[in-house]
Amino acid sequence: MSILTYIFGWPIVAALALVLVPRNYRVIIRAIAVLATLISAALAVKMFCAYGSAPMDADGYRFVQQIPWVESLGISYHVGVDGLNVGLILMGAIVAFAAACCSWEIKEREKEFYILLLVMSGGILGAFASLDLFFFYFLHELALVPTFIMIGVWGRGERKNYATFQITLYLSLGALIALIGLLALYVQSGANTFDIPRLTEYIRRHPLSVHAQNLIFPLLLFGFGILVSLWPFHSWAPLGYGSAPSPTSMLHAGVLKKFGLYGLIRIALPLLPQGAQGWMQILAWLCLGNILYIGWVAMRQKDLNLLIGNSSVAHMGFIFLGIASLNLIGVTGAEFIMVAHGFLAALSFALSGYIYQKTGTLQISELGGLCRQLRFIGTVLLMAAMAGCGLPGFANFVGEVTVFFGAWTVFPLVTGLALWGALIIGAVYMTRAIRNVLHGPLPDKWAGLADASNLWRKLPYALLLASLFVFGCFPRLLTDKITPDAEKIVAMARGETVAMGSTRLRRVQLGVPPNWIDTRETKVDPINPAASRPLTVSGATPETTRGTRVLHDNSAVALANNTILNQ
Amino acid sequence: MKLELLPWLILFLPLLAAGGITLFTLRYRTVSALLSIGAIVTGFVLSLVFINANGWQPSSAESIANWLTIGGLHVDFGLKLDALSLMMLLIVTGVGGAIHIYSFGYMHADRSFSRFFAFMSLFTFSMLGIVLANNFIELFIFWELVGVSSYLLIGFWFEKPSAGDAAKKAFIVNRLGDFGFLLGILMVWGLLGSLNFTVLQNKLTADPAVLGGMATVAALLLFCGAVGKSAQFPLHVWLPDAMEGPTPVSALIHAATMVAAGVYMLCRILFLLNADALHVIAWIGGFTALLAALIAVQQNDIKRILAYSTLSQLGYMVMSVGLAGPTPAMFHLTTHAFFKALLFLGAGSVIHAMHDEQDIWKMGRLQKKMPVTFWTFLIGTLALSGVPPFSGFYSKDSILGQALSQGNYALFILGAAVAGLTAFYMFRLFYVAFLGKPKTQAAEHVHESPAVMAWPLRVLAVFAVIGGVIGVSQTYASQFSPGEARESFGQSLVEPLTHSPAGVLVGLAFIAAGFFAARALYRDAASDPLPEKLGGLATAMKHKFYFDELYEATFIRAHDFIAAVMDWIDRWLVEGLCIGLVRGGTDLSGRALRLVQTGNLQTYAFLFVLGVAVVMYFVLGK
Repeated sequence: MSILTYIFGWPIVAALALVLVPRNYRVIIRAIAVLATLISAALAVKMFCAYGSAPMDADGYRFVQQIPWVESLGISYHVGVDGLNVGLILMGAIVAFAAACCSWEIKEREKEFYILLLVMSGGILGAFASLDLFFFYFLHELALVPTFIMIGVWGRGERKNYATFQITLYLSLGALIALIGLLALYVQSGANTFDIPRLTEYIRRHPLSVHAQNLIFPLLLFGFGILVSLWPFHSWAPLGYGSAPSPTSMLHAGVLKKFGLYGLIRIALPLLPQGAQGWMQILAWLCLGNILYIGWVAMRQKDLNLLIGNSSVAHMGFIFLGIASLNLIGVTGAEFIMVAHGFLAALSFALSGYIYQKTGTLQISELGGLCRQLRFIGTVLLMAAMAGCGLPGFANFVGEVTVFFGAWTVFPLVTGLALWGALIIGAVYMTRAIRNVLHGPLPDKWAGLADASNLWRKLPYALLLASLFVFGCFPRLLTDKITPDAEKIVAMARGETVAMGSTRLRRVQLGVPPNWIDTRETKVDPINPAASRPLTVSGATPETTRGTRVLHDNSAVALANNTILNQ
Repeated sequence: MKLELLPWLILFLPLLAAGGITLFTLRYRTVSALLSIGAIVTGFVLSLVFINANGWQPSSAESIANWLTIGGLHVDFGLKLDALSLMMLLIVTGVGGAIHIYSFGYMHADRSFSRFFAFMSLFTFSMLGIVLANNFIELFIFWELVGVSSYLLIGFWFEKPSAGDAAKKAFIVNRLGDFGFLLGILMVWGLLGSLNFTVLQNKLTADPAVLGGMATVAALLLFCGAVGKSAQFPLHVWLPDAMEGPTPVSALIHAATMVAAGVYMLCRILFLLNADALHVIAWIGGFTALLAALIAVQQNDIKRILAYSTLSQLGYMVMSVGLAGPTPAMFHLTTHAFFKALLFLGAGSVIHAMHDEQDIWKMGRLQKKMPVTFWTFLIGTLALSGVPPFSGFYSKDSILGQALSQGNYALFILGAAVAGLTAFYMFRLFYVAFLGKPKTQAAEHVHESPAVMAWPLRVLAVFAVIGGVIGVSQTYASQFSPGEARESFGQSLVEPLTHSPAGVLVGLAFIAAGFFAARALYRDAASDPLPEKLGGLATAMKHKFYFDELYEATFIRAHDFIAAVMDWIDRWLVEGLCIGLVRGGTDLSGRALRLVQTGNLQTYAFLFVLGVAVVMYFVLGK
């Protein structure tokens, strides 16, 4: 059996096992949940480390397992990973473990809560591992439904019921639209298979008609978009996260939400390339709604959780921008942020959950000076806020800066505006929050607050923070895995145009400078034609050297560059 | 290249110290301090060893590890080793080391002593990263890290609301500069396809017009980064507020590190700056120098006077870069690092002795009780004012000489006038705080600081005296204008006179005027006589020409206003509309469907048959 089956199977099995445990065995219930997610996280780490050396199947997937199920419809149980989901599964498993650890704040109906949490964890990990559209969708729904129940039953705040109502309505609608799109895709393709690699291969040879693509792509874009809180379909997110118990927010904002983005990249882009190309310009502008508009909205929030929720919605904008740029750099950056944001969102909600647990409020005006009393939690919250405004060293920076480089070649104006959102607006609301929550004098009523004291309590925060550091400092751990598969996706999404040999699109695909400087290309130096090489090539030249090297002489470098350029 | 690993070690030692303190030794105060001090002092020694072994221009200029490669985006983590970076390495570790040692005494009573040293080491690491970076993204990474570590240090006493506010302000204002900087980086990458300085320089040398029409825009965007970090007009407002941090932090930020980063960066990317951009840069620098000097004249807080003097001196450096003179700029940066660190640490010594009193009008007559502080501060004042033969004289004169040699007489006169103003406000400070009568009880009962604070003062004072003639300028010149003959010690001693005697004389005349004006006004003054004489101008100076108020009323208000509007729209329109539509739609379809569910069997049968007929039509009819 594939290791992937174990990764998402353990939480599901544990959930079933919990049904049999009497409800007053609290410690056992909790231990089972934590243990199951721990095993799953450990396996995911193992899978991630072994990824490079694992054998690939013909379609480029690793750790593959396939069992036929409903053959008449072409449904089979099929799991596997490539660069697009390997990071997501690792992130999801770690977040699931952290969420289980943070569930100590739940004090009533613990058994039901842990069952739902495990179903949610297993479901979403399974959805990411699935290479079959049926299971892909079904397991996502399996994870989605517990969200509603958890917010409704264990949620907090006055607007809990409204939040539950809104999030259920919205997400069900989004999932429904996406389902229609997926079914239409299945029917229209004529391949009679739900298997994603088969379907991809089939459509590569028999592309859908442009008409069909134009009809189906918007369904997937907006269906998945609603699930990811694409502006203007975002209003469920901040309120939903604000009202949810923190383990639920952690799992949903961190992991479950990435399903829509993953679906867009895995399914919509490569299978509906012509449908996609027309929408990318619009998507780029919509993402500004997330980045700028939601950024401004976040500046106004008076509740810490709503602020984190809004900032989480704002971060989705960068991912959409990376996707919209439809080139290797942008899509890789988008994939990278998906992983980074998973850790960050989970960490932020875990921290706000801790503060709420201790103080009973998240009103920013009520808090203040907490860094003195809560040294560990305060320090980690400070780091999370800094990661949130894109500080280097944390994984988010790598993803965001990569997306900017990718998007700059296609949408310079949008990138410039997004930069404003990332560097200025993000910094303003984050530093304001720090100033008002962590800095300043400590109100007397919080003088007795207790910090996370023992190692067990600190573990989930430390784990998530460490993950952010590891990928922030050593991004190649992830990018080297993503890049080859992102390249395939991008090639398919732009396939037609590359075949036509348009240099502009070819360059855009490689992430090479845009057209507005091309006029210089025509100038030819009559004396030394080699010196007036076309500019297009200069940008396309990847630095050929890797690993450690020492440049011994500048002129040698120049010479080497020229040699490459003139090829 | 010999000892190739040393620069890596120099860079990462402070990070190790910061990490070690945070994770393990927060409870052991002395261990933490020794770790941090040990890291930076070792860095200084290793830098000397490395330079001794390889000279100022090591045979292989770069040492590289790949950090990120995605398609056409290639980012290295590399170290650039040349005279510029090696000299900065010495300054950062040397001056920074003196400040670290001094902090051991200054911060000794603070309860977050360990945390302080962890932040200091993080700051040092970030600054060393800027100095050694060999490409734009690496530079930007450390650029941001310097921003955040300064945020942490300025807000070190975070329980004080003013400290929290100042930290926030510094961070955001710096981010405004970084916005332009990153945009500039994207533009350069977009046009040239590389981020590595050496590769970029080669491309530009091969084809100077390769940037085309965007050259000036790109250069000015990159300059934005320097405007933020080096606190140039119009983003100068954060620096004086940064005085909220502990005094050693001010010394570190103002002297050797953060603010120097902007000037250093401009010198590093000089090849990207074209003539038009340089012109703008020169005038921004000159204007900042004048503006800050004017504001300094009417400040009463000892640290704020020094802060504005820093702004003003940075203006000089930026102006010098703009006048195509990186050597004078870096020369002044170096001597300024010596005497400004000295002045700040001296001020800290006074503040420490006065029990956190910073108003110069409450001090006075300190020379008997604090001789070391008194004499070293005097040396610093003389050096900053540009009195020969102190170090500041040589570097300031080389900048004025640069203006003359470029034929820019307007900026020359401006520079000379600012030199006069500098002498005026520094001697105002000196007369009021150190001479005259003791103005309060506290000033009569001060004590000299302990040896751990006094020795760094002495060492820095020596360099503030001799910094101008120990070959700093020639080392930089070997990088920026190779081929010039090295001068002997005697030559460099009289270099300004042989180089541009007219410039020296004009400069000295202004300085003398400033000194005598300050002497006449403040020798025995008990309160400031200037406001009466200048009237409204003095009020404007005192209020820093109302820049804070202006930004408050425009930039901050505008953002808050937009945020309020967006929030309203979000709350009432988007949420209301979307939810309303979905809910209304569901509701409506529910009602519509209810009409179908009549409960009437005939209707059901009719619909059933209708359905079957439709299906039959589609299945069989086609």
